[in-house]
Amino acid sequence: MTVGSQVKQTSASLKGVKATLDIYSAQSVTEEDRKLFETNSEKIERVITMLEQRISNLEFEEPQYKGL
Amino acid sequence: MEEWTIILIRSVIMFLIIVTFLRFIGRKQTSQMTYSDFVIGIVLGSTATLISFNVIKNLALGLIGFTAWVVLLVVLNYLSLKSKWFHDLFHGRETILIKHGKVLEDNLKEVKYTGEELLSQLRRKNIFNIADVEFAVMEANGEVSAMLKSEQTPITPKHLEWQVAANAEPQTVILDGNIMDEALRNQGLNRQWLQIELEKTGISIENVFIGQVDANGDLYVDLFDDAIQIPKPTTKELLYATLKKCEADLELYALSTNQPEVKKKYQDGATELSEVLQSLRIKLKR
Repeated sequence: MTVGSQVKQTSASLKGVKATLDIYSAQSVTEEDRKLFETNSEKIERVITMLEQRISNLEFEEPQYKGL
Repeated sequence: MEEWTIILIRSVIMFLIIVTFLRFIGRKQTSQMTYSDFVIGIVLGSTATLISFNVIKNLALGLIGFTAWVVLLVVLNYLSLKSKWFHDLFHGRETILIKHGKVLEDNLKEVKYTGEELLSQLRRKNIFNIADVEFAVMEANGEVSAMLKSEQTPITPKHLEWQVAANAEPQTVILDGNIMDEALRNQGLNRQWLQIELEKTGISIENVFIGQVDANGDLYVDLFDDAIQIPKPTTKELLYATLKKCEADLELYALSTNQPEVKKKYQDGATELSEVLQSLRIKLKR
């Protein structure tokens, strides 16, 4: 069983990564760069969603890790 | 009129004439001047001095001579520009000294160079083995340019078939403490962005001596106070490292769970992240 807090940490890091990618995508000069950052940001979004689902499952199974 | 007033006035006149004239003939470094350019320059300089110090008593005569030399020089340069034949006549052609790795002794004699002088010139280009040279030519001004054999040329990203992010020139946005708005505009940024970036590093704008923005949008500053150390901008490396860590975490979770669907989910996530890492590698690492 994976520990809920660790998964939350990973999810938080990934959210930070996604935010930076969004900044780069907004700041990029060429269309090509922008697309690159956008696509990767979306991929990370999917991973974040999956992790969030997992977190809610974990919280259900182990209520002591709920919160935050 | 007294002697010293004459000299003062003449000096000022000649100074202004020379300065205007120099703007006119354009910029060429001393090392790239041909011998004739050099000699003509000396003549003009000496003439100006003689006029300036009243050695040539008649100002009109002095100026006529000076102007004649100037006009001839301008005409020479103009003709060299327009006609290749004329250019070759006055500035000389390049002479090939080494071809296909072999020294052409006859050409060497033509330019009156000894083997020792050739080696010395090559050493000045950091070439110590004549065996490394594929092609060497002596330029019109006497300088030797050498091309190395392909095995000896330094490795470029092209050789390794690496893809690298394109290199763009950095813009200097703060110089001597002044903000260069035009440079900021060239990068598509403005003063507010600059303020925010400086806030992020905790430095106030009065402390900055030089500030440069590179093609990736990272700001590098040099402060007036040299004792303060600024951390180098590492957002990109940090991003890459964080992604790697998250990928590793996901693989760890995949291993530590027993339920097969959960395992698969984590593994898919890890694969997605590794794809992201691959595609962003070019931008973030190199």
